[in-house]
Amino acid sequence: MFVLSFLLRRLLQGSLIILLVIFIIFTLLRVVPGDPARLIVGGMAPDAVVAMKAKELGLDRPIPIQFLSYLSDLATGDLGTSFVRPKSGASLGGSAFDDSTREDRAKVLDLILGTLPMTLQLAALSLAIALSVAVPLGTLGGLHPGRWPDKLALGLGSICVSTPNFWLGIVLTLFLSVKLKLLPAIGYRGFSYTILPAIVLAVEIIPFILRTLTVSVAQVMREEFIQIAPIRGLTRSRTVLLHALGNAAIPLVNLLGVQLGMLLGGVLVVEFIFDYPGLGLLTINAVLQRDFPLIQGIAIFISVMFVAINILVDLIAMTIDPRLEY
Amino acid sequence: MSDPILAVSNLGVDLQREGRIKRIVDNVSFALQPGEVLGLVGEAGSGKSVLARALVRAIAPPLEIVSGKVVFEGRDILSLDPRALARVRGNRIGFIGANPMGSLDPRLPIGQQIVEKLRSVQPEIGRAEARDRVLDFFGRVRIPSPSARFHEAPFQFSGGMMQRVMIVDALVSDPSLVIADNITQPLDVTVAAQIIRLIDGLRQSLNTAFLFISSSLPVVAQLAERTLVMQRGQIVEQGLTSELAANPRQPYTRTLLSRIPPIWKDVMAPTATDGEAVLKVDNVVRTYFVRRRGSFNAYNQVQAVRGVSFTVKAGENFGIVGESGCGKSTLTRLLAWLEQPDGGRIAFLGKDLSHLSAHSLTEMRKSFQLLLQDPYGSLPAGMPLLRMIEEPLLIHGFDRAEAARRAQEAMIEVGLDAELAHRLPVGLSAGQRQRINIARALVLRPRLLILDETLSALDQVEQAELLDLFNRLQATYGFSYVFISHDLALVRRMCHRIAVMYLGRIVELADNTTLFEQPHHPYTRALLSAMPTLEHNHFPHTRYLLDGEPPSPIDLPLGCSFRSRCPRAENDCQKTDPPLLALAGGNYAACLHRHEKETADVE
Repeated sequence: MFVLSFLLRRLLQGSLIILLVIFIIFTLLRVVPGDPARLIVGGMAPDAVVAMKAKELGLDRPIPIQFLSYLSDLATGDLGTSFVRPKSGASLGGSAFDDSTREDRAKVLDLILGTLPMTLQLAALSLAIALSVAVPLGTLGGLHPGRWPDKLALGLGSICVSTPNFWLGIVLTLFLSVKLKLLPAIGYRGFSYTILPAIVLAVEIIPFILRTLTVSVAQVMREEFIQIAPIRGLTRSRTVLLHALGNAAIPLVNLLGVQLGMLLGGVLVVEFIFDYPGLGLLTINAVLQRDFPLIQGIAIFISVMFVAINILVDLIAMTIDPRLEY
Repeated sequence: MSDPILAVSNLGVDLQREGRIKRIVDNVSFALQPGEVLGLVGEAGSGKSVLARALVRAIAPPLEIVSGKVVFEGRDILSLDPRALARVRGNRIGFIGANPMGSLDPRLPIGQQIVEKLRSVQPEIGRAEARDRVLDFFGRVRIPSPSARFHEAPFQFSGGMMQRVMIVDALVSDPSLVIADNITQPLDVTVAAQIIRLIDGLRQSLNTAFLFISSSLPVVAQLAERTLVMQRGQIVEQGLTSELAANPRQPYTRTLLSRIPPIWKDVMAPTATDGEAVLKVDNVVRTYFVRRRGSFNAYNQVQAVRGVSFTVKAGENFGIVGESGCGKSTLTRLLAWLEQPDGGRIAFLGKDLSHLSAHSLTEMRKSFQLLLQDPYGSLPAGMPLLRMIEEPLLIHGFDRAEAARRAQEAMIEVGLDAELAHRLPVGLSAGQRQRINIARALVLRPRLLILDETLSALDQVEQAELLDLFNRLQATYGFSYVFISHDLALVRRMCHRIAVMYLGRIVELADNTTLFEQPHHPYTRALLSAMPTLEHNHFPHTRYLLDGEPPSPIDLPLGCSFRSRCPRAENDCQKTDPPLLALAGGNYAACLHRHEKETADVE
């Protein structure tokens, strides 16, 4: 019963946020310069063809009307079709206006869902790498504040946070794939292509997890119920594993929610460097091609993801700590 | 006499910080017989808690045990190997601390945590058996509906209930010794009295020895046959508690005793001269709305203040007492006009505050000032003292030179050293900090000071000094004071008239003498009866002490809101909500079956 009312309230709040995002994205895209109708038919097309295309797509109607019809399309799950991308895959930007393949443009939703598994895989792997490094080290650092694990955690965090990701991406490619030929770097032809970008992303996330965890573990260890646990007869390992980590996990879960949201939103620079065919690369290309429906679709999709992840994170945090029920 | 269960000899604990060594526990020796309750009293900072922890070897750097033996059941705890120590701590020796709300993992059900503890120290006990045992103990410490509360987390308990839970936690492994460190200190007086009574009952049925630690001799005297007096880490006097209280031999014990404020014996109740009304509170109501747990859009009404009326006259000290949750903090916020009442009116010097314009309200605010409890959180840490005291003047538009002059005068007046003027408040004592707060209020020449537990963070000596200061300021400027406090002894000493609050209402309003000697409301009698005193309590526990805890202000009983705990409740109390009736001598009480001239009940 409680979970239902919580979900209902959060979903309502979430839809409001998403509606706002849709409105902002839609308006911004209509305000920026560039005529999408001309883009679709190609630079060489006569003005009459452009006007016809605009009429066909409804681009000549007033913007509020366009917004409403876009909303009603969204409600049926239709994110529209890309201006420039055909179903076959290659970009059509440069071909002639009377090329017959132009008409067969790809659905935005299909484009997003097609790249989503790649992004999910990358996000999951980088999160796994980051957690497996940062959780043990962060916990140790929090248990021994001021001692070497704490200093190591701080040092590693500082190094990671000050390493630029594009630089790390290039250096890792140079050493691991070019020189040592251990891992492939560019494009995607199998799981091994995910590892390098995942490492680069993990390095970006690690400092946040390290810092959050050391601070929250150290804080929990100073709490009265941890201090008196040995007097109550609990063993140290039990106290740390069950009680200290359980309480320290809540800020971490919140942090991971935000990080996961960013990862799923597509990581522009890293996907671009490794030419990794995820949501980030799709975004960059859509922007470069002024592919309005696709940009809109991605932005809305990401905001939905963010809202969903945040609801999920709050649910998990509530299971860990019932005090957070409100 | 049988062999002692605990024999401590020459125990010493040092504090090492920045190369300096300070002795915290100094050469302490004492013994405890099986089933005995031994008291340990001393001021804050005398080393009681460190001693308590040293007994179970829970001492971590910068503290260090440097000498002595703690022989428990024939073995020295200080030289046990870790595995043997684990078999003693939490198993043979139970420990109850002063912070029940912080003593268990806040996320997990309390029942599960006590089962976890019991099975950690006695692994041979099965899960089901451990559960039964915990439930049995919940019943014995009279936690209502034990099997439901077993699954609730600490935040769902009140402080008093949680302390019962911690008593179960200590006793569940059937220990032969329990160390109780200041366990009643955070609790309200009626709840603390219940806990004391509970422990008294339990130790008789369990034959467990208790080391009962408190900073108050009257509290210890309720339980302990023998008492140790501790000062600066040393046991300065020990003996039978009654003898210690009657014929102290050491000067320190005498000082401790002299600081216990008298309630009935040789008390001169202050009497007020009649003056004009400064503050008039008329039927004030404040209700908060809180979203109901687990609901989509339903709200609970928390009726914090329900129709409170009283008048404070010029030069009068008005006391408001009551236990936590009675609405006195909300009332403070209303009096200081930090919040506006939902109903009723508050008039200051004849002017209804809700009718004033923003400008005249600011002007009016000069005349009533609020002093808070926490001397640390209420001062800006990065501001020199003089600047702090000038600030109210600058806000109200005085020029700098005038403000500085008045601030310096105020500093002298409250007894702050002029050398402190340009220093930051770092390192000042709680008493000095409260003096700064008093000076900040004083510079505006107010008519009324609202003191919300202003003295509770201070020790007895500092309290007495500030009370003298308050009296002096009153004589000079004719201030009125509203003392909001849970400390009955303080109110007894300072206030002319006192209002007793229960669940958002004033249940009794009377002059000092009537309230302490011939109160009409059963709740007032219960409060007085629950006070730990060395002198003879005029209201015996057996007759007046309350059971249970106040109901939630969300779900008030119909009729009289006190009837769920009232020993005099009858059928008509369920139907009629008694109004605050005027009695002889300008006093009021809200009770259908109030105590009239029952001198027989007053001993």
